Amino acid sequence: MRANIRAIVRNLTAAIAILLFTTTSIALQVPAYNAPRLKGTTHPDLNGLWQALNEANWDIQAHAAQPGPPQFGALFAVPAGSGIVEGNELPYQPWALAKKKENFENRLVRVKVDDVRLEPLDPEAKCYMPGVPRATYMPFPFQIIQGNNRIVIAYEFASASRIIYLDKNEPSVTESFMGWSLARWEGDTLVIDVTGLNDKTWFDRAGNFHSDALHVIERYTPKSPDMLWYEATIDDPKIFTRPWKMSFPLYRRLDKTAQFLEFKCVPFAEELVYGHLRKETSK
Amino acid sequence: MKMRFGSLLAIMLLMPLYAAAQSEKPATTVWRTPWGDPDLQGSWSNATTTPLQRPAKYGAREFLTPEERRELDKETAVGTDKRGPLGSDQDVNDAYNAFWWERGWSDGRTSLIYDPADGRIPALTPEGQKRRRNRSDDDESYNGPEDLPLYTRCVIRAPLPRVPTGYDNNYEIVQAPGYIAIFQEQMHETRVIPLDSRPHLESNVRQWLGDSRGHWEGNTLVVETTNFSDQTSFEGATKNMRLIERWTRIADDRIDYRFTVSDPATWTRPWSAVITWHKAGTLYEYACHEDNYGLYGILAGARAQEKK
Repeated sequence: MRANIRAIVRNLTAAIAILLFTTTSIALQVPAYNAPRLKGTTHPDLNGLWQALNEANWDIQAHAAQPGPPQFGALFAVPAGSGIVEGNELPYQPWALAKKKENFENRLVRVKVDDVRLEPLDPEAKCYMPGVPRATYMPFPFQIIQGNNRIVIAYEFASASRIIYLDKNEPSVTESFMGWSLARWEGDTLVIDVTGLNDKTWFDRAGNFHSDALHVIERYTPKSPDMLWYEATIDDPKIFTRPWKMSFPLYRRLDKTAQFLEFKCVPFAEELVYGHLRKETSK
Repeated sequence: MKMRFGSLLAIMLLMPLYAAAQSEKPATTVWRTPWGDPDLQGSWSNATTTPLQRPAKYGAREFLTPEERRELDKETAVGTDKRGPLGSDQDVNDAYNAFWWERGWSDGRTSLIYDPADGRIPALTPEGQKRRRNRSDDDESYNGPEDLPLYTRCVIRAPLPRVPTGYDNNYEIVQAPGYIAIFQEQMHETRVIPLDSRPHLESNVRQWLGDSRGHWEGNTLVVETTNFSDQTSFEGATKNMRLIERWTRIADDRIDYRFTVSDPATWTRPWSAVITWHKAGTLYEYACHEDNYGLYGILAGARAQEKK
């Protein structure tokens, strides 16, 4: 009898423990949002025209509003922003912080880049493909076309595009502006491992930069029908003393006429890049 | 049940033929996406040695004989492998040697154009002739970047429809429900094509690659493109050119691609071409404008020459 009571108590305790464990784990683990699936697959459907709504393209760190070139009045002034960097601090090595400031000072001044080129440093001004993660928070929409094996992300700015492989795992063989993207699903989160990035893009107009040792891990998590949460871990041991993180929401473009459009900016940047090589009389 | 050795042998011999015939058939159940659309996804190349227009020597003949095809493939192979002695003028001048050229495959045709039947671009209308005479392509000034061709400036490789060129004829197709993405290795842009009947962009919105709408006709993707820019021109057409393209999967490793262009201001009739797309290897980024030393050199050279 005593043994029976002991057994009942033991079972009850176990039952309560299990009950507590499951309820807490339900509270902790069950996602608040159950995203629709890509038809015929078990994965969330991330398809759509998306855009960030923040001021990170001017400066990924917190910043106050600043004037633009005075001749244009308020047109090209910098909007204030609270930043997208977690903790706001960028762990630059001392020399790299100095280089960031130099980048900013020479962003629109013609400087000798090498034996041939004499041009401003800002890669966005020159219409370079924006790199990863910057392409994600430029003030332009981008379209995710998610197939069952591969994903294309088409960015309007500079017609940059990425092919993202869910069906490959070989490492990057060369460097490029938009990198080499290998992806996997972690639950409802699309995780993209980006390597093979070159050192020719910046994080923003403030001159924040990286080297070709940059390694980015991106995470896209659907949070509601029209919002993805974006997170990127930035690791670049040549420039920073430790990895750091940025995060922000991406919103679906719901405008009735929303459509992916062209922003082929090469012709817009030619004066800035080649203006000094123009024939005097043709100016 | 016993089976005669003869019947078994017959089946064994016929099986490969049957399989070959099957793979040529348009897909009904194979090549489907998980959501049920015909599946065109993958990496493709439209490289071919078949010319757009039929060379005169073929007369009215639409297809090459097997011997001609073999001979052509041999010539292509030899021609592109040719190199001068290392470092010689000839070698430098032929710098685009086998390393660069994509030989492509002969489509077995005498021309990519199949309509009209003579395999040639139709006659120009009087208006088209007048425009051609006024064209200032021969103006060889290098006063500024805009004097150079769009490809040299890295704006676009070529207008639509894309006819294969010397290298990088690669495309990646990814599909989603309601959309198809055609990524073009040159110039790293993606054609994002909605598969619905939404209206085209406002007529004042002109784009280098136009504005495309697609739909499925059986197993064929049909895409209509309008709203072309007047800063580019396919074979002399105006910005009002109408382009219809069709993609049909015909094998695991092949797509039948056809286009029809019409522009009454340019040609006396519409014309059509067919290009076989073959399975290709991995695509890589074609950055062109970024660090465009070529254009730097051309303009700097022109300025230096003026000072002489």
